[in-house]
Amino acid sequence: MKIALVGNQNSGKTTLFNLLTGMNAKVGNWPGVTIEKKEGTIKGTKNKIIDLPGIYSLSPYSKEEEIARKYIFEEVPDVIINIVDATNIERSLYLTTQLMELDTNIIVALNMVDILDSRGIKIDIEKLQKELGVKIVEISALKEIGIDKLIKEIDKDNKKINKKIYDKNIEELIDFINVDSIHKRFVKVKLLEGDKRFKKYNKEIYEKRILKCSEKYDTDLEEIIATERYEFIEKVVKNTFKIDKKKSDISEKLDKIFLNKYLAFPIFAVIMFLVYFLSVGVVGRSSSEMVSSLVDVFSSFVSGFLKDIGTSEVLNSLIVDGIIAGVSSVLGFIFQLIILFICISLLEVTGYMSRIAFLLDKIFRYVGLSGKSLIPFIVGSGCSVPGIMGSRIIENDDEREMTAILTPFIPCSAKLPIIAMFSTYFFKDYSGIVAASFYFLAIFIIIISALILSKFVFVDTSDLYISELPLYKMPSFKYVFKDVFDKVVAFIERAGSIILFCSIVVWFLLSFSPSLSYGVDVENSILACIGKSISWIFYPVLGEDNWALTVSIIQGLVAKEQIISSMSVISGFTNSSGMFSSGSIFSSITPAAAYAFVAFNLFSAPCFGALGALRRELGSTKKVLKVVLFQTIIAWIIAFICYQVGIRIEKSIISVADIVICIIIFSILCFIGIKYFKNKDNKCNSCPFGKTCKQLKK
Amino acid sequence: MNLAELKVGDVAKVIKLNINNKKTRRHLLDMGLTRGVVVKVKRVAPTLDPVNIELRGYELCVSRKDLKNIEVEKVYL
Repeated sequence: MKIALVGNQNSGKTTLFNLLTGMNAKVGNWPGVTIEKKEGTIKGTKNKIIDLPGIYSLSPYSKEEEIARKYIFEEVPDVIINIVDATNIERSLYLTTQLMELDTNIIVALNMVDILDSRGIKIDIEKLQKELGVKIVEISALKEIGIDKLIKEIDKDNKKINKKIYDKNIEELIDFINVDSIHKRFVKVKLLEGDKRFKKYNKEIYEKRILKCSEKYDTDLEEIIATERYEFIEKVVKNTFKIDKKKSDISEKLDKIFLNKYLAFPIFAVIMFLVYFLSVGVVGRSSSEMVSSLVDVFSSFVSGFLKDIGTSEVLNSLIVDGIIAGVSSVLGFIFQLIILFICISLLEVTGYMSRIAFLLDKIFRYVGLSGKSLIPFIVGSGCSVPGIMGSRIIENDDEREMTAILTPFIPCSAKLPIIAMFSTYFFKDYSGIVAASFYFLAIFIIIISALILSKFVFVDTSDLYISELPLYKMPSFKYVFKDVFDKVVAFIERAGSIILFCSIVVWFLLSFSPSLSYGVDVENSILACIGKSISWIFYPVLGEDNWALTVSIIQGLVAKEQIISSMSVISGFTNSSGMFSSGSIFSSITPAAAYAFVAFNLFSAPCFGALGALRRELGSTKKVLKVVLFQTIIAWIIAFICYQVGIRIEKSIISVADIVICIIIFSILCFIGIKYFKNKDNKCNSCPFGKTCKQLKK
Repeated sequence: MNLAELKVGDVAKVIKLNINNKKTRRHLLDMGLTRGVVVKVKRVAPTLDPVNIELRGYELCVSRKDLKNIEVEKVYL
């Protein structure tokens, strides 16, 4: 049998899914979107179960709801398990009233029955079952109560009774309409709601009747149907629920602290600092350093062993410098990821994540991002890989993808040595200011890119913010570990393979000459040839045709800190004063070119690790290639501007003051531009176009 | 009077949703903001937007500009 699990967000759906399937769930993405798809087999049976996205309704307006509808109509599950939060009954039953209209049998799993007593709620289950016309099983996913009973109920033939829940006018209309489809009643109701996806069943005569009927209510039937669903629920709840004067609960008290006008941001800053400190700060970094030193020991052991048994030098290098080095760069991320995922999982399960969105929404909404985007950005300043992987806390598909794409723009800790080396050598006394300027540049570029992306690429980032503030909950550690485990496995599967593959390719390009002889110097390698043939691209950016810098940029794809080691290998100098001295290949670099070079490396394609993570989050290689192109073009433009402006400052054609004033003017223009765009889109009533506005006419 | 005009602690009954954007309106309806429902303004974000309201036994956060288009009638307890 095919079972579908349906329920609201924060209803305990994922916990129930894990309980029903045990450890044999497969995590993937729904086709075409990056919304998680989980499939599994219910333990002890052969019944397949699928976890549909957490939804509040089956309306045609969100991707999650569309996925759920598509599944229900195309895959036609045999049973739908509808998980309902007993402590939030009215809103949860709203989805149930829609599922009740399907032909499919449904079982309502009434969750959180364990805390009903403490909240002063008593439910007459028998009566509730009768009023809704569906089978109800009381469960607690957290305390693992009633799960076996639920599994047994699936195989029983629980016929549901189709209740007529609307008023006379609507019910008459439903009887009048005839459609040739499965889930007849559901489709009919959708026709009344004016749902475009079911347009093909509509007929002129129906439309006339629907219009006539809606005139009676002075609004369209979509609103009336929603209202009557809730009226039905209110009646049912009144008959079956006994709620003692609501006891003041702990969430109320916690919110007084966490969402306090003055305390909210300081507390948030402390929590963010902890997440940063643990995942990519001291703790995360030292753990990944430990892994890489272990790998070093291992690889020298393997190298020695291979030499002893007489393996050729090429194969030895492939295994040690190619494969093991590639694997170690994947492993290096794993600890950081595990810590980050634990932090995120705890923030999500406890309910604090929804509060973060509430606190920061206003600020990030300006540029089309979610309030939760701040978390990937903060984590990304340590390492882009966990940052990108952290973007999945954002529910809206487009906001999530935008955040994932923009996260690598934050200078990560691997980019720090590049910034430090160039600013210290070229700008000496001003190195601090120059280094800081890269961070400001990054923030500026993120804002601009977010505006560009939200205007032209991701149009669905409408500034819609309607979000539930769930109650605070104690986390279930079993669930947190399962969640973290699933995510890490998914990272290794999808991102790990791409990182490994790319590392081997670069190893090959670096170790072989164009005539495929092994063991050549860097300047004779295939990579140097490539560098020489494409270095002209960087002429407008660096002011010279320097193949060595080009090669370093390509090597930076493996890991950004490799840029400096690559430069020292090519020049033969280990410190910066030698590297840029007159005998070196890098001697002709000017401060302007240096600034532009750093800027290019900050914004261009991130390392393979980050690309692997992007591949995992965006769901397709094609999208990743587009992103790389977007980022590299942006990086080139920025570097170009930096160099051209810089070279003019060097030649004293323009002064620093000119630049500062230009930036101020530009910022003011941008600010006005944002205000203008915002007005144009959202405030139809007050916008200067008024009734002549094209969007309004549509 | 609209929902954005209420102060923290105020209770009101929803009269009408004057929202043009179908997606926003449907989402609000789905979340239980239907005609006749009683809502309470619980708290405002430190940035003054969004607003946290209580209805149907749970808490919902909505941005101020959407609340402006929800007509309400104040209820005095």
